[in-house]
Parts: sequence; structure tokens; C-alpha cells
Amino acid sequence: MSIAAAHASDQGSRFLWVALLPLAGFGALVWGLLHHPLPWHGGWAWVPSLGVEFSVHIDGLSAQFLALITGIGALVCVYASGYLAHEPRRGRLFLILLAFMVAMIGAVSVDHLLVLFVFWELTSLTSFLLVGFHHEDEAARNAARQALLVTLSGGLALLAAILLLGDIAGSYSLQDLIAQGPALAADPRLPAALILLLAGCFTKSAQFPFHFWLPNAMTAPTPVSAYLHSATLVKLGIYLMARLDPAFNDLWLWESVLVGVGAFTAVWGAVLALRERDLKRILAGSTISALGTLTLLIGLPNPGASLAAVAFLFAHALYKAPLFMVVGNIDHATGTRSIDRLMGLWRAMPWTAAVAMLAGLSMAGLPLSFGFVAKDLITIAKEDAELLDAIGYATLFVNATVVAVAAVAAVRVFGGPPEWPRDRIHEAPWRMILPPLLLALIGIEFEFLPDLADPLLAVAAQAMAPELGAVDVQASYVFGTVLTAAELTLLIGLALFLIWDRLETVLRPTRWLDRFGPTAGYQFLLESLPRVASWQTRVLQHGRLGGYLRATLVSLMALTVGAGLATWLNLAEAGTRWLQDWRLVGNDWPAQSWAWLTAAALMLAGAAASVAVRDRMALLMTSGLVGYGSAALFLFTGAPDLAFTQFAVETALVVVAAAVLPRYGPPPALADEPYRRNALLAVASGAGVFVLLLGMLALPQDPTLADWFGAASLPQAHGHNVVNVIIVDFRALDTLGEITVVVFSLLAALPLLGALIRARQEAA
Amino acid sequence: MTGRALLLERTTRPLYGILLAAAVWILLRGHNAPGGGFIGGLVAVAGTAAYAMVFGPVAAQRRLPFGPMPLALLGAALTLVSGLPALALGRPYLTHLWWNLPLGFAELPLSTVLLFDTGIFLAVWGTLAGYVLALLRGGEMDRGGTP
Repeated sequence: MSIAAAHASDQGSRFLWVALLPLAGFGALVWGLLHHPLPWHGGWAWVPSLGVEFSVHIDGLSAQFLALITGIGALVCVYASGYLAHEPRRGRLFLILLAFMVAMIGAVSVDHLLVLFVFWELTSLTSFLLVGFHHEDEAARNAARQALLVTLSGGLALLAAILLLGDIAGSYSLQDLIAQGPALAADPRLPAALILLLAGCFTKSAQFPFHFWLPNAMTAPTPVSAYLHSATLVKLGIYLMARLDPAFNDLWLWESVLVGVGAFTAVWGAVLALRERDLKRILAGSTISALGTLTLLIGLPNPGASLAAVAFLFAHALYKAPLFMVVGNIDHATGTRSIDRLMGLWRAMPWTAAVAMLAGLSMAGLPLSFGFVAKDLITIAKEDAELLDAIGYATLFVNATVVAVAAVAAVRVFGGPPEWPRDRIHEAPWRMILPPLLLALIGIEFEFLPDLADPLLAVAAQAMAPELGAVDVQASYVFGTVLTAAELTLLIGLALFLIWDRLETVLRPTRWLDRFGPTAGYQFLLESLPRVASWQTRVLQHGRLGGYLRATLVSLMALTVGAGLATWLNLAEAGTRWLQDWRLVGNDWPAQSWAWLTAAALMLAGAAASVAVRDRMALLMTSGLVGYGSAALFLFTGAPDLAFTQFAVETALVVVAAAVLPRYGPPPALADEPYRRNALLAVASGAGVFVLLLGMLALPQDPTLADWFGAASLPQAHGHNVVNVIIVDFRALDTLGEITVVVFSLLAALPLLGALIRARQEAA
Repeated sequence: MTGRALLLERTTRPLYGILLAAAVWILLRGHNAPGGGFIGGLVAVAGTAAYAMVFGPVAAQRRLPFGPMPLALLGAALTLVSGLPALALGRPYLTHLWWNLPLGFAELPLSTVLLFDTGIFLAVWGTLAGYVLALLRGGEMDRGGTP
């Protein structure tokens, strides 16, 4: 046992070096911040023909996100090397995790909106793979799919918003958009663009009503949750809203939607946290709540709110990530995350308990922690803004819940008499202690890195609110009214903590909402998809050839009638001209007329015979006659190439069908076919096409292309046969595509035919 | 068709050769007269179908160079490749190049167009022959024969 364990831990440390990659990024960022003033520019052309430039613009806000992504990323890698020491596929996880990091770094660094969209979607895709990492577990698969569908739908809305904004502003550069700012409001399309943009951000950042994917995504391995669902991925929507805030924060729409949705999400997330028993899902609920608070803060127009937002963003990442890791350690040691079964763990897991205490202090916003500073700033920002009383009470409730959640995570599961026999649970290895401990320490005493922290927060806030002057975050401790509000919050939070077990009953009425809420809506949509698919398959793909033909002809008829109506006015004129041109009345007939008439007679005879005969082989021949007749017609109307092709197609078809048909037994009874209805349909579609052609002939014809091809064929492409030159030279790319489709059709059909052959073999 | 059709068997073998020769001729003349890779391919398919009708799909497949799927893929690959030389010369993809090969008594006009058209020919032949042979094999079972 011990040998195997030692071996496994060796295996785990093999991946420790991965942490060096984000660490190097973090180091480079710190070095850059100390030596070069922000913002940094750079970039190169990517798709010059579309004006897409890979332009990088890093200001305070980007730098803050980069610090979170690389710094926490390095620690998460260390943590994961311990957490996944026994996971044989962990190499894959590290690879996807790094890909996700790159996508996040790209998303918060680039200036071009379309490039940002590419990285945005990459984060969705990689997070799908990470959430569904344990893909043998159905719950993980469903959660991954849910997260993907929700965030990708939002991504589509975002793309539409980007295109609209690009059209309105005449530029896809974020900096250009911000520079134009309020001037954009003059465009009537702006509200639509903003709604779409916010839909994209809300899905990504788990705002109501798109929040439901986040708690379910807790099936992901804990390092993934600690990284994606507390510090990075879910903050990407927050990032984009914060980034565009200076352009739009004067708009009533922007402010009201952000404040309204943010406040409601904050409350709803708190409710979700309060009624959970799974520690990880409790944290997920409180994360939704925190994201709502961030959205609310971005929506507030005063500059203080921007400072509060960036401070809270930092503080939240610094306490939520370690708390997730703490839950991971508990899960690792005990195999459960249910708070009903966890108690008195401090004796067996003293280090994890210490980390939980430190992070919990910051989360609860107790003095001397960075959480306290953030909460302080939030309170000031909200007092400055003129908010509804309801939002004030909501904030109190949300903050109290945060305190209660912190107490549950830090006190409840560790305190009390030890319920677990000590030999059964063990403290986590150092790789799973050090990363959360470091984060929690930074969170508890942010003066730990004073040279980095203060300016970083200030420049980040200034990126959101340019009018904000120099700030000293640490100096904003104001004891007074703020502290009393904090005391009240603490008291209510403690009360909530004490009655936690009874809250489930109290909050039971909210379960009623679930039946009609967003989750139910998602489930309904998901289940409707196969239902609609099977319905339309039953109706359209019934397997009866006659029905397919009728459906095709009726669709064709509908098109014909539509086109005929569009050219209706030309018809009379067309008829007259047709009669004159073809000299059916008056004048002499041209020399080829007899050939035309013969060809037409051939086709008519073929058609008439096809209706009359019932034998399959005879039908093949008579319908072939129609084809040969039309080929002859082409031949005498100056299209020898078309005629040749028609002859070849018709011959090949007849030969192939004659070879294949006799081997497939007697034909199915034609008696089932509605003979009269078919005849009527055939005549009607024939007449429809005739009228359509007549209408087309009446339209003026543009000979530019035909003349050009005729003139250019020999000098430019060395060929007399214009048709062939067009196929193989002028439009060679089209032909290449068509020929590829032809070949691929066989690639798809061969397995099907093979299955048919095998089925018949087994039946025989 | 039950039993053997001697007359058909005697005529089909030379007919197959004639049809293939005609198909290649149609392919080659296509640039200046009616014809080309597509029509040539169709004629070749007619030959394959006729052969398979008389001697069975297995025998017909044996006469098909490389077999249907590789033949079709080879054709698609030829059309793809024929556009590459232009890239090497810095021209847009699929810009066709011509080269008159002096033979002493005459000049043989070679071009990437011919490569392209040959690709179409092989792709059409391989694909449609693949369909025909698979359908025939499926049909064989119906008659209790062996595929």
C-alpha cells in the first residue's frame, strides 16, 4: 500500500512542472508592471482582407485579470498535481487547463472584438471538456453539455452584438468603441446591440436566468471549479461588461438592466446557497450571488462603484478559490461533500482547517482581511448611488448569507466533536495545502504585496471609470456608519448560520419556482429537440419513394408559382414574343424546326409510354426516351456539350439501372400509389415549369458573362470548348468542391450499403 | 438473368475495352471539342456496369484499377494537386499552367488542366462504379447468390 502510494505521489509530482508555465507568465506580468507603464499596445494583421487585426491592448483592467489568470493558474496547477495524483488521465486535464488559460489570456488582452469572440468561444469549449472530464459519469456529461449549450447560445448573441456594434461604430476595436462612447447612443440599433451583448455576458457570468449551469458544473474536478468557477471563466462576462462600462454607463438601459439583473441574481444566488447541503454547491450558489453583486456594481454610474467592483473581484477570487480547494481536500479525505456528514474535521485536517478559517474571514468581510476592504468599498459605493430601498435590503440579506456560507465552510465542518475515526481520514499532501494557504494569506493581508496591489486596483478601476483620480485603497477604512452596517450584517449572518438546518424548510416554497424556472425551460428545450426531430422524421422521412417524389414536386410547384407571380406581368409579353420568335404563326420556319419537332415528339412519346407501361424494364426504356429526346433537342439548339452530357448520363443511368434492378426482386405494388393524384400533380408541375420558363424568357438577358467567356476561352485558357474551359479552368474551384462532394457521398454510402448487404446475408 | 448468356459474354469483354478507350478519348478531346472528364467518367461507368451485369460485381471490381473508393479518392486528390504548381510560382491556387513538350515531329501540349480533368474522370468513374457494384452485391443476395 505505502509503496503504491509513494509511487503514485511520484507520478503526481511529474506534472508539477506544468505550474511553471503560468508562473512564468505571472512573473513576466509583474516585471512588466514594475518597468513599463500601462497601457501596453501591440498587434499584427491577422485577416487583413477583413480588417481583422490581432491587436493587443492591456490596461489596468486587463492586467488585473492577467494577474488572476496566471497567478491563480500557477497555484491551481500545483494543487491539481496533488489532487489528481491517482488519476491516470491527468495529462489530458493539464493540457486542456493550459489551453483554457491561453484562451482566457487572449480574451482579456485583445482589442479587436472578433478576435475576442474567438477566444471567448475557446474558453467555452475548453471548459466543456474540463467540466465533462469524468465523462464516464452521466451527471458530468449532462453538466458539461448544459454549460456548453448555455454559454454557446450566449456566444451567438454576443457575436450578433459584436457585428451590430461594429456596424454602428464603424470599428471593431474596443478602444474605439469606448472613445466614441455616448455618441453611439444616437443610433437606434444600439439598444438591440446592448441587449444581445448583455445576454452573452450574462450566460458567461451565470446571471439570472442563465445561472443554473454553474451549480451543475460542480461535477467538474475540484481544481477546475476552483479555477474556472471562482476566479476566471465566470468573470469573463464581468470583464467585458466592465470593459465597455465607460462607453455605456450613462445609458438608462445599461444601468437599469445591470443593476436589476445583478441585484436579483445576488439574492437568488444567496437563496440557492442557503438551501443546499452539498458544500461545493453551497459555494457555487454564493459565487452566483457574488457575480450578481459585481454586475450590480458595474451598473452603478459612480466611479466609487468601479473601485468597489475591482476590489471585490480580487477579494472574491482570493477567498473563493481557496475555499473550493478546501472542499476538494475534504472530499479527497472523506469522500463526501455533504455538510450533514461532515463535522469536527479540524483534528484530522488542521492545515486545511486553518486555510478555511483564513479564507472564511476574508469572505465574511471581517476586519484586517481584504474582504473587509472590498465590502467597505461596496457599502460606500451603494450609499453614493441613489438606489431603491429594496436593493438596500437585498444587499443586507446577500451579505448576511455570505457570512453564513463562510461560517459553514470554515467553522461548521471543522468544529465540533470529531465524528470520523482518525485513521480513516488524513490531511491532504502539501501540494494541496500550499496553494490555498498562499491565496488565503494574500486575501487576509493584502499589504503583503503593497507595491503591486494598490496600483493594480487603482489602474483597473481607472480603466472602468476614467474620471477616478488616484486612490489609496488601504486608506478607505472608515469606521463609523459603515462599521455598524457591517456589524448588523454579521449578526444576521450568524443567525442564518445557526438556523441553517431549518432554512431548507423555510425556503421550500422557492422549490416551486424550479418547476417553472429557467432550469425547467432548459430541460424542456432539450427534450423538445429530439421530439421535434422524430416528428419531422416521421412526417418527411417515411421511406416511401412516391411520397418523396410528391413532396419534391409540390415544393417545386410552390417555388414555380412564387416565381411565376413575381414575373406575372411579363407573361403576356413573353407569350407574344415566343410566338413571334419561334414563328409558329406567320413567316417561314427555320431549317432546324423539323429536328426540334422530332425531338419533341420523341419526348412526348416517351412520356406517354411511361404513363402507360407497368413493367419496370420497359419503364426504364421509355423514360430513357425522354432523356434522349431532350439530348437531341440540345444538339439542335446549339448546345452540343450539353447534349453529349445528357446522352452519357441517360445511357449510364439506363445501363446501371438495367444491371441493378433485376437483382432486387419483384417491384413493390404500384397499386398503393394514388394514380389520379399523381397524374394531376405531374401535369400541374409540367405546366408550372413551362410557365416559369416562359416568364424567364421574357426577362431581359444579360450577355456580359457569356460574351466574356466566349472571348476569353481560347486566349486565356487555350481551349475551344467554352463549357469545358469554364468547368476545369475559370470555375475550377467550384468543380473541385463538387467533385469532392461526389466522392464523399460514396464514402458515406458505402457503409450503409455494406450494412444492407450484411443484413440481407444474415436474413438469407 | 438465370444461366449464362453466351452472346453477351463474348461481346462484353471487347465492349468493355472499347468503352474505356472511348472514355479516355472523350476525356482528352474535351478541351477543344464536346467531351471532358465528367462525360468520359460516365461512359467508363457504363462500361463497368455492363461488365458487372454479365460477369458479376466481383469480377467487375477486379477490372477496376485500385477498386472504387481508392480510385475516387485518387481522382479527388489529382484535382486538388493540379492547383498546387501555380502556388509554387506565386500565382493564385488553381491557376492552370501549360507546357508544350517538344517531341521532334510534333508538340505535345501538357497542362495542369489535363491533370484536373483526369481527376474529375477518375472521381466520377470511381464513385459511380462504387455505387453500382455495391448495389449489385446487395442484389446478388436476393437471388441467393454469393457476393
